[in-house]
Formats: sequence, structure tokens, C-alpha cells
Amino acid sequence: MILQLAWMEWRRLMRTPLAWVVLAVALCLLSWQFLGTLEAFVGMPTETRTLGLSHHLGLQLFGLAAVLLLIITPILTMRSFSDLFRSGAYSLYSSAPVSLSALLLGKFLGLLLYLLLFVALPGGLSLLLLAGSPIDLGLIAAASLGLLLLAVLFLAIGLYTSVLSENPGVAAAGAYGLLLLVSLLDQHTENTSFLHWLAWPSHYLNLQIGLVQTNDLAYFLILAGLFLGLALYRLDRRRSG
Amino acid sequence: MSTLLNAVQLQRSFHGRQVVKPFDLQLKAGDILGLLGPNGAGKSTIMRMLCGDLAPGGGAVEICGEDLLRSPIQAKGHLGFLPEHPPLLRDQTVDEYLSDCARLRGLARRQRPQALQRTKQLCALDAVGPRLIRKLSKGFQQRVGLAQAIIHEPEVVILDEPTDGLDPAQIRQVRELILSLAEQRGVILSSHILSEIQATCNRVAILREGRIVYQGDLAPSGEISYRVGLEQNPEPAEIVALAPVAEVERLHTDYFRVALHADARVSELSHLIQERGWGLIELTPEQVSLEQRYLEATTGGEA
Repeated sequence: MILQLAWMEWRRLMRTPLAWVVLAVALCLLSWQFLGTLEAFVGMPTETRTLGLSHHLGLQLFGLAAVLLLIITPILTMRSFSDLFRSGAYSLYSSAPVSLSALLLGKFLGLLLYLLLFVALPGGLSLLLLAGSPIDLGLIAAASLGLLLLAVLFLAIGLYTSVLSENPGVAAAGAYGLLLLVSLLDQHTENTSFLHWLAWPSHYLNLQIGLVQTNDLAYFLILAGLFLGLALYRLDRRRSG
Repeated sequence: MSTLLNAVQLQRSFHGRQVVKPFDLQLKAGDILGLLGPNGAGKSTIMRMLCGDLAPGGGAVEICGEDLLRSPIQAKGHLGFLPEHPPLLRDQTVDEYLSDCARLRGLARRQRPQALQRTKQLCALDAVGPRLIRKLSKGFQQRVGLAQAIIHEPEVVILDEPTDGLDPAQIRQVRELILSLAEQRGVILSSHILSEIQATCNRVAILREGRIVYQGDLAPSGEISYRVGLEQNPEPAEIVALAPVAEVERLHTDYFRVALHADARVSELSHLIQERGWGLIELTPEQVSLEQRYLEATTGGEA
């Protein structure tokens, strides 16, 4: 049933103009960044190049992709539950023979399926260079993995705020607030502190430069699992009133 | 007939206030049970509890032998629910939406096209299949809501105010649809409109401030009384002395409401009146109307 729900969510999303506009705008912005990075790298004197082109792409192209993801995700997730609560369409799911966890995971996977298209964009643009120049495929794969994990985390946070409110606008505002909080927790905190560990930029940075570490993978999965768990708890509480 | 739905001591509180007092409810195949009560009496809360949308504060619900609280997925498989506001995904077409509903209700892929076709035909939605739901009239949207509740042919169908906002022609269509549904299954529907319940249901549960104050057949045959008009105006004591008469109430000078013993026959009464020479002007059976019962139940007998 989870896959059925994921398919329904994905198909529903793909039939909205929003999904295509978001992808088109993201492609334009990422292409602009890609060309800019390329131009800057080519114009750089060879002796001043301390990092390869793949590193530049990992930092700049995938850096912009992370920012775009932060902007896009709450727009996608705000309707997932809030809108259903507000319109009353949630009872379609709550009276169906579907468990709450299957419903939540189905919606999560459906949105992730859509975000996979977005996640593939910077990697796809980078692969275009294969035609004329060698690039570090491992680094691009690691950065793409990082972007995918970031999508998993952001979606979990967005879905959590979506189950908290019947107002999609409030759900989106809540998601932006939480996402910015986990983005900025590493500011003004000790490198070794727990709060610093809770912020995603340093974990993502490692993957951007091709460093795949269990600590970083665990960070994304644990935090995403935590927010999905909280969302499930809220859905159950909602049923109890 | 088998019991399709059995609710025992179901109750619900919100913020410490008991909005639905403990009640028992049974639904058998072929039943159309009407939940009747003024707005705010707790009809929607009861319906949401019966379909698992809202957890009860106490009690149990069994649907086709499956406990709704212990085995919600199995129990909900036997259930179709139309809430007060149809649960529509307005950006989808009718066909897409109903296909998704069939998928959600667990119909196998090969069963879906047939179920979609049958349900659209039943709800007169054939012509609007490719249209976006948000562009449909309220009547059509209501029918789409009804279609999602029955696409998987559930044994128990729960409909919250199914004719709300429809025009008279649409109301008639929906009533006919509900009557045809109940041929094979049990239906619970709520309304605050008496005529709605009278036109559709064979059983009624009347609610007042979260309490079911009356539950039973819509027109119980045992409670028929007669309006009797007599030229000679005898005393009520004289009438009650007649063998078949159980109770007498004077309505006007010459008119009485007469209740007979359960085994008595009305022909006996007319014969005795003729014998006494009281001059029978009128002898009309008078059932306790739903309106009378509703007013008695919802105003505590003040009406």
C-alpha cells in the first residue's frame, strides 16, 4: 500500500503546473550557476587552481542546489496534510484501510520520487562535461548522494510541519523556520557541541567534496527518522482529538 | 439477517466535556438507519467514530465481525464513508480520483476499471469522467463523494448529510441511490431534516445533546391509535370500558384518540360503538409520526 500511495502522490504532484514550473526554474538557475562555475574555472590561471573542476562544481553547483531545495521543499510539503485537513479530504485516507504509517511513508516516498528529478539535475549537468573533459565521477556521485539525503531530511521536516497545521501557509512558514534553524545551528556553537552536529551544512559539505562518512549518513537518516516519527505521533494524536 | 455493524457503549469527550454519551447501535443487512438530531447534537462525531476517523473515548465498534480498534485495516475494508464535506481532491478529474479511491480501498488492478464503470453508472457520473472535480457543480461533487464511498462495494455505508446542498431533483436521485444500495448492505445516514429520514430510512436513532434518546423502527406497528369521532359525545370512561380499548384521550368535544389492546381488532370497536348508538362520524388510524417522536425526544416531551 505504501507504494500505491507513493504512486498516487507522485502522479497527483506531476499533474500540477507547480511541479513543472519548479523543475524548469531550478534547471535555469542551476544551468546558470553551472556555466558561471565553468567560465570562472576556465578563466582561472592554471597555477592558481588549487581544486579541480569537479570540486568547484561540488561546492558551487551543489551548494546552490541545496539552497534551492530549502526553498522548494516547504512549497511541496505544505499541501500534503494541511490542505487535506482544511478541505476535509483527509477523511478519505482516515476511513480507508490504510495505516497511518503507510499513509505518511507513501506521501513521503511520492514527494521524494519527484525530488529525485531535482536531485538529478546538478549531477546531470556535471555529466555533460564528460564529452570534453575528465571529471571526478565519485565526487559528483557523493555530492548527489548528499543532495538526496538533504531532500530526505527536508521532506521529513516539511511533512512534520504539514501535520501540525490545517493552514498550508502556516505549515510552510513552520517548515522554513525549522529548516533555517537546522541550517544555522552551527553558527556561534562549538565545533564539538551537539547543536553544531545538529546543523546540516557541515555534514553536507563533506559529501560535496566527495567525503562519504558514516557519521554524516547517520545524521541525515536519524534526523529524518526523528521528524517522520514526530509526524506519525501527531497524526495519531489527531485521531484521538 | 446478519449484524454488519455493532457499536457497544461508544462515547466521546472533547476537552473533558462528554459530547457523545455512551450508546449502543446495531446495523443489519438491508437496514437504512437514520441518525436524526438538531445541528450540534453529535451526529458527525458518532459517524466519525463509527468509521475510524475519530478514536472513541470508550466502547467498541465491530464491522462485519472485525474490531475497528484492534484490527482497523480489516474493519475499514468493509466500510464506505461520505463525510459532511465530500473528501474530494479537487485538482483531479473524476476518473483519476475514483481510480485512486479504488486503489486506496485495496481493489486489485484488474478489478478497478470495472468498479469505476459500475460506480459511475450508479451515481450518474458517466458524462463527467474526464472533467476536473473543482469545475463540477455541487450536486455532481456530492455524487462523486458518494461514488468514492461505494466504489469498493462495502457492506456498511456511512453517509453524513448526503443530500445537503442538493436541489430537489438531485435529492430524489440520491435517495433512490441510497435505497438501491441498501438492498445488499447496511446504510447509516445522518440528517437534521425529518422528511429526509422519513423518505429513506426504515430505522431511526434520534439524538439530543450527544445522547441517543430514541432508537427503533420508523413506524412501529404496535403503537397505532385511532382518531374516533362520535355524535353522542359519551364520557371517556364509557369508551375505555369497551373490551378492545386500552386508553382514551379526549381531543375535542366529539373527538377522541383511542388506543386498542395489542390483540384487539378495530372492527370490534366499530361494532361496539354502533351497538351503543353513539353515532360513528370518523374512525381513522393514527400512527405516532416521526415529527411527533422527534419533537418529544429533542424537547424532552415538552412539545
